[in-house]
Amino acid sequence: MSTPARELLQEGAHAQDLDSAVEEVFRLMMGAACTAADARLSDDKETITAVIGLAGAMSGACTLRCGLDTALRMAECMVGTSPAELDDMVKDAIGEVCNMIAGAWKGKHPVLASGCMLSTPAVVTGTNYRLHMQQPEFRIDRSYKFEDHAVHISIVCESIQ
Amino acid sequence: MSNINALIVDDSSVMRKIVERALRQAGLSLDKVYEASSGAEALEVLKSEQVQLVLSDINMPMMDGLEFLRQMRAQELAPDVPVVMITTEGSEEHVKAAIAAGAQGYIRKPFTPEQVKDRVLPLLDLA
Repeated sequence: MSTPARELLQEGAHAQDLDSAVEEVFRLMMGAACTAADARLSDDKETITAVIGLAGAMSGACTLRCGLDTALRMAECMVGTSPAELDDMVKDAIGEVCNMIAGAWKGKHPVLASGCMLSTPAVVTGTNYRLHMQQPEFRIDRSYKFEDHAVHISIVCESIQ
Repeated sequence: MSNINALIVDDSSVMRKIVERALRQAGLSLDKVYEASSGAEALEVLKSEQVQLVLSDINMPMMDGLEFLRQMRAQELAPDVPVVMITTEGSEEHVKAAIAAGAQGYIRKPFTPEQVKDRVLPLLDLA
Protein backbone atom coordinates (compact mmCIF):
# COMPACT_ATOMS: atom_id res chain seq x y z
CA MET A 1 0.00 0.00 0.00
CA SER A 2 1.32 3.41 -0.93
CA THR A 3 2.08 5.93 1.78
CA PRO A 4 1.21 9.63 1.53
CA ALA A 5 4.74 10.77 0.65
CA ARG A 6 4.98 8.34 -2.25
CA GLU A 7 1.53 9.28 -3.52
CA LEU A 8 2.35 12.97 -3.36
CA LEU A 9 5.51 12.58 -5.38
CA GLN A 10 3.79 10.48 -8.00
CA GLU A 11 1.45 13.30 -8.86
CA GLY A 12 4.06 14.70 -11.22
CA ALA A 13 4.17 18.24 -9.97
CA HIS A 14 7.55 17.99 -8.24
CA ALA A 15 9.65 19.30 -11.15
CA GLN A 16 7.47 22.38 -11.40
CA ASP A 17 7.74 22.72 -7.63
CA LEU A 18 11.52 22.72 -7.98
CA ASP A 19 11.32 25.45 -10.63
CA SER A 20 9.12 27.46 -8.30
CA ALA A 21 11.47 26.94 -5.34
CA VAL A 22 14.50 27.99 -7.39
CA GLU A 23 12.74 31.10 -8.69
CA GLU A 24 11.69 32.06 -5.16
CA VAL A 25 15.15 31.64 -3.61
CA PHE A 26 16.98 33.58 -6.32
CA ARG A 27 14.40 36.38 -6.33
CA LEU A 28 14.22 36.85 -2.58
CA MET A 29 17.83 36.25 -1.60
CA MET A 30 19.66 37.63 -4.66
CA GLY A 31 17.15 39.94 -6.28
CA ALA A 32 17.72 38.00 -9.49
CA ALA A 33 15.76 35.90 -11.92
CA CYS A 34 16.57 32.23 -12.37
CA THR A 35 14.48 30.39 -14.90
CA ALA A 36 14.45 26.90 -16.36
CA ALA A 37 16.54 26.74 -19.53
CA ASP A 38 18.58 24.36 -21.61
CA ALA A 39 21.88 25.43 -20.08
CA ARG A 40 24.93 23.17 -19.94
CA LEU A 41 28.00 23.20 -17.72
CA SER A 42 31.42 22.53 -19.14
CA ASP A 43 33.01 19.36 -17.72
CA ASP A 44 36.56 20.62 -18.09
CA LYS A 45 36.13 23.78 -16.04
CA GLU A 46 36.08 23.91 -12.27
CA THR A 47 32.60 23.30 -10.92
CA ILE A 48 31.17 23.72 -7.45
CA THR A 49 28.52 21.37 -6.11
CA ALA A 50 26.57 21.97 -2.93
CA VAL A 51 24.84 18.94 -1.42
CA ILE A 52 22.01 18.85 1.11
CA GLY A 53 21.03 15.45 2.45
CA LEU A 54 17.36 14.55 2.87
CA ALA A 55 16.26 12.05 5.51
CA GLY A 56 13.02 10.82 7.02
CA ALA A 57 9.91 10.50 4.86
CA MET A 58 12.25 10.72 1.88
CA SER A 59 15.94 9.83 1.78
CA GLY A 60 18.19 11.37 -0.83
CA ALA A 61 19.87 14.62 -1.67
CA CYS A 62 19.45 17.98 -3.31
CA THR A 63 22.46 19.15 -5.29
CA LEU A 64 23.27 22.48 -6.90
CA ARG A 65 26.09 22.50 -9.47
CA CYS A 66 27.55 25.56 -11.17
CA GLY A 67 30.78 26.99 -12.51
CA LEU A 68 33.24 29.11 -10.59
CA ASP A 69 32.13 32.41 -12.15
CA THR A 70 28.52 31.58 -11.33
CA ALA A 71 29.33 30.77 -7.71
CA LEU A 72 31.24 34.05 -7.34
CA ARG A 73 28.34 36.01 -8.83
CA MET A 74 25.75 34.30 -6.63
CA ALA A 75 27.80 35.08 -3.52
CA GLU A 76 28.19 38.70 -4.66
CA CYS A 77 24.42 39.04 -5.10
CA MET A 78 23.82 37.64 -1.62
CA VAL A 79 26.34 39.61 0.44
CA GLY A 80 26.84 42.71 -1.71
CA THR A 81 30.61 42.44 -2.06
CA SER A 82 32.53 40.89 -4.91
CA PRO A 83 34.65 37.87 -3.93
CA ALA A 84 37.88 37.41 -5.90
CA GLU A 85 38.20 33.68 -5.44
CA LEU A 86 36.44 30.55 -4.27
CA ASP A 87 36.86 31.22 -0.58
CA ASP A 88 34.88 29.96 2.42
CA MET A 89 32.32 32.73 2.03
CA VAL A 90 31.49 31.64 -1.52
CA LYS A 91 31.18 27.98 -0.51
CA ASP A 92 29.00 29.04 2.41
CA ALA A 93 26.76 31.07 0.09
CA ILE A 94 26.33 28.22 -2.41
CA GLY A 95 25.56 25.80 0.40
CA GLU A 96 22.91 28.12 1.79
CA VAL A 97 21.29 28.58 -1.61
CA CYS A 98 21.06 24.80 -1.99
CA ASN A 99 19.71 24.53 1.56
CA MET A 100 16.97 27.08 0.89
CA ILE A 101 16.02 25.45 -2.43
CA ALA A 102 15.76 22.03 -0.77
CA GLY A 103 13.68 23.53 2.04
CA ALA A 104 11.41 25.46 -0.30
CA TRP A 105 10.93 22.38 -2.51
CA LYS A 106 10.03 20.01 0.31
CA GLY A 107 7.88 22.71 1.87
CA LYS A 108 5.55 22.47 -1.12
CA HIS A 109 4.69 18.87 -0.17
CA PRO A 110 2.85 18.75 3.18
CA VAL A 111 4.12 15.29 4.08
CA LEU A 112 7.72 16.14 3.28
CA ALA A 113 7.54 19.56 4.91
CA SER A 114 7.20 18.03 8.36
CA GLY A 115 8.48 14.51 7.76
CA CYS A 116 11.69 15.13 5.84
CA MET A 117 14.75 16.65 7.49
CA LEU A 118 17.61 18.52 5.86
CA SER A 119 21.29 18.10 6.60
CA THR A 120 23.72 20.98 6.84
CA PRO A 121 25.37 21.70 3.47
CA ALA A 122 28.49 20.04 2.07
CA VAL A 123 30.36 21.63 -0.85
CA VAL A 124 32.48 19.76 -3.41
CA THR A 125 34.81 21.50 -5.87
CA GLY A 126 36.84 20.15 -8.78
CA THR A 127 36.65 19.30 -12.45
CA ASN A 128 35.05 16.55 -14.47
CA TYR A 129 33.39 14.66 -11.63
CA ARG A 130 30.00 13.05 -11.14
CA LEU A 131 27.93 12.46 -8.03
CA HIS A 132 26.39 9.01 -7.95
CA MET A 133 23.66 7.43 -5.85
CA GLN A 134 22.81 3.76 -5.97
CA GLN A 135 19.48 2.90 -7.57
CA PRO A 136 17.60 6.12 -7.02
CA GLU A 137 13.84 5.71 -6.84
CA PHE A 138 13.46 8.86 -8.87
CA ARG A 139 15.41 11.96 -9.69
CA ILE A 140 14.65 15.43 -10.96
CA ASP A 141 17.36 17.10 -13.04
CA ARG A 142 16.76 20.68 -14.04
CA SER A 143 18.93 23.32 -15.68
CA TYR A 144 18.47 27.02 -15.11
CA LYS A 145 19.76 30.31 -16.40
CA PHE A 146 20.85 32.91 -13.86
CA GLU A 147 21.92 36.06 -15.74
CA ASP A 148 24.31 34.51 -18.29
CA HIS A 149 25.22 31.63 -16.02
CA ALA A 150 24.13 27.99 -16.05
CA VAL A 151 22.99 26.36 -12.81
CA HIS A 152 22.09 22.67 -12.56
CA ILE A 153 19.92 21.43 -9.71
CA SER A 154 18.96 17.84 -8.93
CA ILE A 155 16.75 16.13 -6.41
CA VAL A 156 17.72 12.48 -6.05
CA CYS A 157 15.46 10.17 -4.06
CA GLU A 158 17.00 6.95 -2.78
CA SER A 159 13.91 5.80 -0.93
CA ILE A 160 10.56 7.14 0.04
CA GLN A 161 8.11 5.96 2.67
CA MET B 1 13.54 53.19 21.53
CA SER B 2 17.31 53.61 21.64
CA ASN B 3 19.72 51.44 19.73
CA ILE B 4 19.52 47.76 20.47
CA ASN B 5 22.01 44.92 20.63
CA ALA B 6 21.11 41.81 18.66
CA LEU B 7 22.45 38.27 18.65
CA ILE B 8 22.33 36.41 15.32
CA VAL B 9 22.86 32.65 15.49
CA ASP B 10 23.51 30.76 12.25
CA ASP B 11 26.23 28.36 11.14
CA SER B 12 26.39 30.28 7.86
CA SER B 13 28.34 33.55 8.01
CA VAL B 14 26.60 34.63 4.81
CA MET B 15 23.18 34.20 6.39
CA ARG B 16 24.30 36.12 9.48
CA LYS B 17 25.26 39.03 7.22
CA ILE B 18 21.96 38.84 5.34
CA VAL B 19 19.94 38.78 8.54
CA GLU B 20 21.84 41.78 9.91
CA ARG B 21 21.26 43.66 6.66
CA ALA B 22 17.55 42.80 6.79
CA LEU B 23 17.31 44.14 10.35
CA ARG B 24 18.88 47.42 9.28
CA GLN B 25 16.59 47.58 6.23
CA ALA B 26 13.67 47.04 8.60
CA GLY B 27 14.65 50.28 10.26
CA LEU B 28 16.20 48.90 13.42
CA SER B 29 18.98 51.00 14.91
CA LEU B 30 21.54 48.39 15.87
CA ASP B 31 24.25 49.25 18.32
CA LYS B 32 26.09 45.95 18.61
CA VAL B 33 25.46 42.82 16.59
CA TYR B 34 26.84 39.66 18.16
CA GLU B 35 27.26 36.59 15.99
CA ALA B 36 27.35 32.91 16.93
CA SER B 37 27.75 29.92 14.63
CA SER B 38 26.15 27.38 16.97
CA GLY B 39 23.76 27.15 19.86
CA ALA B 40 26.58 26.50 22.31
CA GLU B 41 28.44 29.61 21.16
CA ALA B 42 25.24 31.65 21.45
CA LEU B 43 24.72 30.57 25.06
CA GLU B 44 28.23 31.79 25.89
CA VAL B 45 27.47 35.17 24.30
CA LEU B 46 24.30 35.51 26.38
CA LYS B 47 26.23 34.81 29.58
CA SER B 48 28.42 37.86 29.05
CA GLU B 49 26.56 40.31 26.83
CA GLN B 50 23.28 42.22 27.05
CA VAL B 51 21.05 41.85 24.00
CA GLN B 52 17.48 42.92 23.29
CA LEU B 53 16.80 40.57 20.37
CA VAL B 54 17.89 37.06 19.34
CA LEU B 55 17.47 35.59 15.85
CA SER B 56 18.42 31.96 15.41
CA ASP B 57 18.60 29.35 12.70
CA ILE B 58 17.37 25.85 13.60
CA ASN B 59 19.52 23.45 11.56
CA MET B 60 23.01 23.84 12.95
CA PRO B 61 25.71 21.32 13.86
CA MET B 62 26.65 20.61 17.48
CA MET B 63 23.64 22.27 19.10
CA ASP B 64 20.63 23.15 16.95
CA GLY B 65 18.47 26.23 17.36
CA LEU B 66 15.66 24.53 19.25
CA GLU B 67 18.03 23.05 21.82
CA PHE B 68 19.76 26.43 22.12
CA LEU B 69 16.39 28.03 22.80
CA ARG B 70 15.41 25.40 25.39
CA GLN B 71 18.71 25.82 27.22
CA MET B 72 18.53 29.60 27.00
CA ARG B 73 15.09 29.53 28.64
CA ALA B 74 16.07 26.82 31.17
CA GLN B 75 19.14 28.77 32.25
CA GLU B 76 17.11 31.99 32.31
CA LEU B 77 19.57 33.75 30.05
CA ALA B 78 18.01 36.97 28.76
CA PRO B 79 14.58 35.73 29.95
CA ASP B 80 12.59 38.68 28.63
CA VAL B 81 14.36 38.92 25.29
CA PRO B 82 12.31 37.91 22.24
CA VAL B 83 13.69 35.10 20.09
CA VAL B 84 12.81 34.75 16.41
CA MET B 85 13.68 31.56 14.56
CA ILE B 86 14.84 31.99 10.94
CA THR B 87 14.98 28.67 9.15
CA THR B 88 14.31 26.68 6.00
CA GLU B 89 12.07 24.40 8.07
CA GLY B 90 8.68 26.04 7.63
CA SER B 91 6.15 23.34 8.48
CA GLU B 92 3.44 23.85 11.07
CA GLU B 93 5.08 21.19 13.25
CA HIS B 94 8.38 23.09 13.23
CA VAL B 95 6.64 26.34 14.11
CA LYS B 96 4.81 24.65 16.98
CA ALA B 97 8.08 23.14 18.25
CA ALA B 98 9.77 26.54 18.15
CA ILE B 99 6.91 28.23 19.99
CA ALA B 100 6.89 25.43 22.58
CA ALA B 101 10.63 25.92 23.09
CA GLY B 102 10.07 29.60 23.78
CA ALA B 103 10.29 31.43 20.44
CA GLN B 104 8.14 34.51 19.89
CA GLY B 105 8.47 34.61 16.12
CA TYR B 106 9.23 32.47 13.10
CA ILE B 107 10.57 33.46 9.67
CA ARG B 108 11.03 30.98 6.84
CA LYS B 109 14.04 31.21 4.54
CA PRO B 110 14.07 32.61 1.92
CA PHE B 111 12.67 35.81 3.34
CA THR B 112 12.24 39.46 2.45
CA PRO B 113 13.30 42.43 4.60
CA GLU B 114 9.58 43.24 4.87
CA GLN B 115 8.90 39.88 6.49
CA VAL B 116 11.69 40.53 8.98
CA LYS B 117 10.22 43.94 9.70
CA ASP B 118 6.70 42.55 10.16
CA ARG B 119 7.82 39.79 12.54
CA VAL B 120 10.50 41.58 14.54
CA LEU B 121 9.35 45.16 15.12
CA PRO B 122 6.13 44.24 16.98
CA LEU B 123 8.20 42.17 19.40
CA LEU B 124 10.22 45.27 20.25
CA ASP B 125 7.13 47.48 20.44
CA LEU B 126 8.31 49.28 17.31
CA ALA B 127 5.51 48.37 14.91
